[in-house]
Amino acid sequence: MASTDPRREPVSLPARTGEAGAPAERRLLLLGLVALFALSALTDPRWLGLAWAAALLLFRRGAARSLARLLGTVVPVSLGLSLASAGFTALVAGQPVAWRALGALNLRTTLLGFLTFSVLARVNLMRAVAPWPTAARLLAIALGQVHALRLLVTDSALGLRSRMVRRPGAVDVVRGAGAVTGTLFALSARNARDVADALRARGA
Amino acid sequence: MHLPDGFLSPQLTLPAFAVAAPLCAWAARRRFGPSGAEALPVLGTLTALAFVIQTIVIPVPGGTSTHLVGVTLLALLYDPLTAFVCEALVLVLQAVFFGAGGVTVLGVNALALGLLGPLCGWLVFKLIRPLGERVAAFLAAWVAMQASTAAVVGVLWLQRLLDPAYFPMEPAVMAAGMLLPSLTVAGLLEGGYTLLALSLLRKANLRGLDRPTA
Repeated sequence: MASTDPRREPVSLPARTGEAGAPAERRLLLLGLVALFALSALTDPRWLGLAWAAALLLFRRGAARSLARLLGTVVPVSLGLSLASAGFTALVAGQPVAWRALGALNLRTTLLGFLTFSVLARVNLMRAVAPWPTAARLLAIALGQVHALRLLVTDSALGLRSRMVRRPGAVDVVRGAGAVTGTLFALSARNARDVADALRARGA
Repeated sequence: MHLPDGFLSPQLTLPAFAVAAPLCAWAARRRFGPSGAEALPVLGTLTALAFVIQTIVIPVPGGTSTHLVGVTLLALLYDPLTAFVCEALVLVLQAVFFGAGGVTVLGVNALALGLLGPLCGWLVFKLIRPLGERVAAFLAAWVAMQASTAAVVGVLWLQRLLDPAYFPMEPAVMAAGMLLPSLTVAGLLEGGYTLLALSLLRKANLRGLDRPTA
């Protein structure tokens, strides 16, 4: 629940499906998934350090961008909780802090985050799921609708800000969100009908 | 509130995945039907709706912010299974397209945030509704938030029991760090939002999307 929320980044709609390179992307996605689960079992900082070095070497292209995303999303949560825990252990409980284990936890969370960002940056997910038409359609509909509905929410937030002299507080935003929900539902219903008609027209 | 990757070992994430994935597939087929042309638009649009509600960021005192969840509203308007399917898909979109949350913890997050929370909220709503719909809606959303947070805290506590070296954080710090904001700020805001949105939807006689029958 940090203020830096990656979901606020612009939605980039996926490219066309069925292009060359899809099998390689699927392999990378599958390997990434297996690696994530396997690496999530590591607890030794030395192994985690080695894995970090290998990941940086393997995904050096675009590493700066992945590291920047990591700093905005994973690091504040992981490091903040670790420091709070260390402070509590040392100052309140009066026990020695397990720095090695806390270090391993932070290495692990950041490594998995880096790996996720790096793999996703190299994979066109729509192309990767193309062999499964239902999943591909569902993704296309959901992402398209996210794009459409978010415009409404953004406009509503800008409207709220422009109507107020001061910065909108928590109550103002909740009241505004409650009001815009009705419109969101109405728009969703209309969009769902339109998409259903389009699918039927194409023989789905 | 949802867990990021690296906080839980495969001992917990793999069984959670094994439970959540078939449950989600079953719920999707049961609630949205087997016909693609009927089911996919409604499922996709409701997922997008839940996703977009969660992008509404609320400033809270102290310079930080929180965001709405909105999944209880779906559970009250439809049912907990619909909310579960939509929230699970929202978590997939967040993890895979936006890098929020985590891929390995998808099962745990889906069960805690998508199933347990909305189910508790829905039960509270059914129980208290005779006393007044507005109070029931507020309490349902508040309880749903607390149930989800408590579940996440519980899983982390279980991880510490399984392997203290894997998850070395003090349970008291973890519980305080997650439950206090949930009890005092996030739960109240979610309750207020659900109450307002439900009242307005009822007043406008707008239930939202009709789901196709299975």
